[in-house]
Amino acid sequence: MMTLVINGKTHEVDVEDSMPLLWVIRDVVGHTGTKFGCGMGLCGACSVHMDGKIVRSCITPISAAMGKAITTIEGLSTDGSHPVQKAWIEGDVPQCGYCQPGQIMAAAALLNENPTPTEAEIREKMINLCRCGSYLRIFAAVKRAAEIQGESS
Amino acid sequence: MNKILNVSMSRREFLGVTAAGASVFVLGVTLPFGRFARADTGNGVMNAFIGISEDGTVTFQNPFVEMGQGTYTSIPAIVAEELDIEMSALHIVQAPHGDDYKIMFGNTRRFTGGSLSVRSSYDSMRKIGATARAMLISAAADDWGVPAGECSTEPGFVIHKTSGRRRSYGELAARAAKRLPPAEVPLKDASAFRLIGKSIKRTDSFAKATGRAGFGIDTRVEGMVHAAVKQSPVFGGSVLAFDKAAIMQEPGVIAVEEIPGGIAVIADLFWHARSALDKLPVTFDDGENRHFSDKQYLQKIQSRLDDAGFTAEQEGDVVTALQGAAKTIQADYDAPFLAHATMEPMNCTAQVVDGRCIVWAPNQAADSVAATAASITGLPLASIEVRTPFLGGGFGRRFITDYVAQAVTLANKLGGKPVKVLWTREEDTQHDFYRPLTAARYRAGFDGQGNPVALHITIVGDGPFRRHLPGSMTNPDLDDSVIDGAIHQPYEIPNRRLDYVYAPVAAPIGFWRSVGNSHNAFFKECFMDEMAHAAGMDPLAFRRKLLADHPRYQKVLDAVSTMSAWKGKPWTAHDGKSHAMGVALHESFNTLVGEVAEISLEAGQVRVHRVYCVVDCGFAVNPAIVTMQMESGITYGLSAALGEEITIEKGRVVQANFNTYPILTPQQMPAVQVEIINSNEALGGIGEPATPPIAPAVCNALFTLTGQRIRTLPLSRSALPGA
Repeated sequence: MMTLVINGKTHEVDVEDSMPLLWVIRDVVGHTGTKFGCGMGLCGACSVHMDGKIVRSCITPISAAMGKAITTIEGLSTDGSHPVQKAWIEGDVPQCGYCQPGQIMAAAALLNENPTPTEAEIREKMINLCRCGSYLRIFAAVKRAAEIQGESS
Repeated sequence: MNKILNVSMSRREFLGVTAAGASVFVLGVTLPFGRFARADTGNGVMNAFIGISEDGTVTFQNPFVEMGQGTYTSIPAIVAEELDIEMSALHIVQAPHGDDYKIMFGNTRRFTGGSLSVRSSYDSMRKIGATARAMLISAAADDWGVPAGECSTEPGFVIHKTSGRRRSYGELAARAAKRLPPAEVPLKDASAFRLIGKSIKRTDSFAKATGRAGFGIDTRVEGMVHAAVKQSPVFGGSVLAFDKAAIMQEPGVIAVEEIPGGIAVIADLFWHARSALDKLPVTFDDGENRHFSDKQYLQKIQSRLDDAGFTAEQEGDVVTALQGAAKTIQADYDAPFLAHATMEPMNCTAQVVDGRCIVWAPNQAADSVAATAASITGLPLASIEVRTPFLGGGFGRRFITDYVAQAVTLANKLGGKPVKVLWTREEDTQHDFYRPLTAARYRAGFDGQGNPVALHITIVGDGPFRRHLPGSMTNPDLDDSVIDGAIHQPYEIPNRRLDYVYAPVAAPIGFWRSVGNSHNAFFKECFMDEMAHAAGMDPLAFRRKLLADHPRYQKVLDAVSTMSAWKGKPWTAHDGKSHAMGVALHESFNTLVGEVAEISLEAGQVRVHRVYCVVDCGFAVNPAIVTMQMESGITYGLSAALGEEITIEKGRVVQANFNTYPILTPQQMPAVQVEIINSNEALGGIGEPATPPIAPAVCNALFTLTGQRIRTLPLSRSALPGA
């Protein structure tokens, strides 16, 4: 039995300690917002926060997540009110939407570290893959999220 | 805020959608087409598409799936315009399979693809909305004892201006649903549009920004088990032997079962299933394709570039014209197999219980899903329930129901237990239905003044129409899916011929975003550049000259020329590097797209800085979504042009994951500027037409920059200066 803290809630899970955090979040705990894309940490669809830092949960064994505060898209806000989510909705960023929870978690982590990133920094740090071509809207929305965050602080 | 979270609803649920709240109103698509049977449910179901509940919520059963292209915004907006409701009143769900929803091709088919959703249903959706509105007005007029002609509507209400009375659609729905739909309904004048032609916001952004949007992979059903699959690495191979006992003690393993062409491990959790599958000793009979190689196939089709084939287009006499030409040029092109690489890997959940089969499948053709399930279970179509969630990308991959067959096969063996089949990325990359590898030879002749007098094209390959829809081929020798985008081009050249040589390919092939246009635009628009240079003309001016009698094309070309401040020669840009532009113009799916790409070279790699795009799709029903789809189509085509290729050795796909099948990264994304021309010609599609022109635009820019002509893709294959 292992203890995981996901979105502020404690979960006791009875799985092998090598199981990737992604599959514990999705299939054991039942939060399906975090997505499976590649299983090799290449695409970022599975991005979540671990103690505020971005990790790719498909290659993070749950043994490495114990004792850490895990945040998934469901825990970023309960109502879409996080500045990044607001900016994403305002900018109609998602197309198919599959990669977007990971993109949003990556953007939120970026703004945690750097509340006022330059365009060049945004382009450098946002590295998750999207197949639909939402990249330009992602860049713009990160910038907008920084403004929204700035206005409310 | 729209309430779409999970987007599937059964027929029973739809009919009952407002039953709890008393009244619903459902109106069937059948209505405008003369097949209407009055719903008369007494609970507000107006037709097969529209149900209105007491609180005014309008449940809309969309026959088109949402896979990113905006059908959950553009399609319901057309209905909402004529029904006269706010977009926020909509509850959008995916229509089940069945004849009621076959609204394409004379009520015979229904699928999502071919860039057809809006243009095939625009008139029907307007009538569906307008008819429901007329029925609501009629019910209110009767209540008030006034002529219907004195009543009008405001969003969600019928009003009688002279008496100041108003009643909500929710209050009227139950009675309105019992009225006979009028045979003819007036449609709004375009000048009164509130939603059509406007950049209204997407309905799915909230769901997709909060992780609540339900994709197929997110299906969770009580008692569900998980399956991981391994298909024969060689196409068409089969399982020879496997040692089930070796893995039955692995954590969570429940069963090991054969599926068509492969093996499945079923476990309590997906991770357990896939971990055990990795350890399962299994041998395959590789079958007859074990020697297939893409390189050999390419050599084979290249050896047939002078075959006569089937002449699909002929004007004048190219042979004589080429013989008599003052100058001739010839070039051979080829384009590789490509994978769809949807971000959401193939998956399907199925349950066979109590004489019914329920299938949760991300799909582009619900009727194909139902037919697949019916043929495996032996159940009638009426006993199959197809639930279609949001699709994590489609691009043509999810027309084919191979993954559905796997889930239903397993569910059929599991005695009522629901099972979710999920492919790994590796399985998804290696068991796709690929854009076919195709080759072409282009030959052109010029007179003494440099005017083109002849163009002779030969295309060799195999196509998805013949493979998947042989019934749609009107001529057994001609597969339109191979030659689309090469035949009947507008450039005025007096002698023209297009020959198609059928060369069957053993590899699985399918419909890849823009289908034949994806390779033909590359061949054709690069060769137009070669012709321009042979004629000593600027490539844009050369095209313009050949389009003298095609003002619609010229207008697109002129607009993209102006927008890009077209430069036919390289220049030193602000970054101190030499930049160059390339242009391509291509019509597909009734839509004209002109693109100019601005590039430079960085360490032997093409860097695309900007793409200027002008689109004429007749009329932009939602300009914001048209713009998004231009960005999307450009991204998809550029990704393929720069680095995507599927190679096959010994019948096995070499690439497996995003490290070996690289899709465009955010860092490679160019700036994109889009301009829409509303020519008010017939509606064209928008999901695909931006994809074909980008590869030739980039390759043409590269020629201007370096003098190096690219005739094979992807660009990563070619050694470029500075590498």
